[in-house]
Amino acid sequence: MGPLIPNDIIPIEWDSIIAILIGIVFGFVLEASGFSSSRKLAGVFYGYDFAVLKVFFTAAAVSVIGIYYMDYLGYLNISQLYVHPTYLWGAIIGGVIMGVGFVAGGFCPGTSLCAVAIGKLDAWIYVGGIMVGVFLFSELYTIFQPIYEGYYLGNITLMDSFGWNPYWVIFIFAIIAIVAFVVADIVRKKVKKVFYE
Amino acid sequence: MDKKKIAKVLSFRYKIMAAILVVLAGGLVLLPKYQKQEGIKSEALLNHAISPERYISTDQISDKLISRDPSFILVDVRDEASYNDYTLPNAINIPLAKLFDDNSAPYLNQDQFDVVFFSNDNFHADQAWILCYRLGYKNLRVLKGGLNQWFNTIINPKIPSEDMPAEDFELYSTRKAASMFFGVAYQDQNVEKDMAISKPAPKKIITVAKKKKRPVEGGC
Repeated sequence: MGPLIPNDIIPIEWDSIIAILIGIVFGFVLEASGFSSSRKLAGVFYGYDFAVLKVFFTAAAVSVIGIYYMDYLGYLNISQLYVHPTYLWGAIIGGVIMGVGFVAGGFCPGTSLCAVAIGKLDAWIYVGGIMVGVFLFSELYTIFQPIYEGYYLGNITLMDSFGWNPYWVIFIFAIIAIVAFVVADIVRKKVKKVFYE
Repeated sequence: MDKKKIAKVLSFRYKIMAAILVVLAGGLVLLPKYQKQEGIKSEALLNHAISPERYISTDQISDKLISRDPSFILVDVRDEASYNDYTLPNAINIPLAKLFDDNSAPYLNQDQFDVVFFSNDNFHADQAWILCYRLGYKNLRVLKGGLNQWFNTIINPKIPSEDMPAEDFELYSTRKAASMFFGVAYQDQNVEKDMAISKPAPKKIITVAKKKKRPVEGGC
């Protein structure tokens, strides 16, 4: 049956409309759970607030378990799902830059736009920085092109490249998530509390 | 249940959620695995397999061959010896065993031409059809009755008896004409030929010029 759009259950023209609706809901939930505060986001790195870690780890675990149950029951064909292609060094370098930006600015790109929407000044500057970075990248594209397009590994997953059993990976992933939550709670209790709005 | 009890249960809520997560993830590991069916669904395959649309009759094929219809490829799925012995005009030979060779894929896996499988009966041709259909190849047909039917209808059409309807006679004459196209000679055909050249040609005296002996021109 699923995925719905590739199997023509929902016409492809609805693609962008659904994306906008999901985007609005996603932004609303981010803002409603306080993710537009850079202090909350940075809290993961300083150890006084692990909401980000918990939310994204839970989201990943719940969705992967749900997807595999739907696949098992025949509602979804996992092989039809989009797998983002891997550009090895592009991903590593981009990930490092993004991580540094995350710690330094206290936003990830999505939450920064949320914070822009509610009028936070630091988010305005952060998004301005993103735009400058995009501009520089586009202007210097010829220099970055070999890294950007090189080291292409295709649309691979961990199961493909290591031959793991996906069900065990999910189980271990769920265990790791719970251990991480417990450890995060222990760390949070030891670190001095920071109060912010 | 008073508020105290609810509060007591709710204080464990994260542990309960964690337990649910682990149970669900563990369930994935423990569930019995089954082989997933890939490709087209069995209902669809069955529907198409019993549909008469996938067959093409020998009359249609002979009509297409005579009118030099370029829209189809005839594929002989018998072995090479039989193919060399007799086959349909312009047929290519892809024996069942070589159906998935790299060389045969360009003929079978395309959507420009109709692919018409045939064998002696339609038994092997049907097998080829099923195999290729499950691979998702398009425009596949099977020659109904195969070469046996071809012989019985086109090459050696049965003369209708006199109590049969006019359509049968029309069909017979069409088939007979087709068989002439494919190189079958008929008795009445020869009669007409004989009648045309009934007048014996007058004897002609052909004079044979004698060769003159060449004078000897030197020698070695």
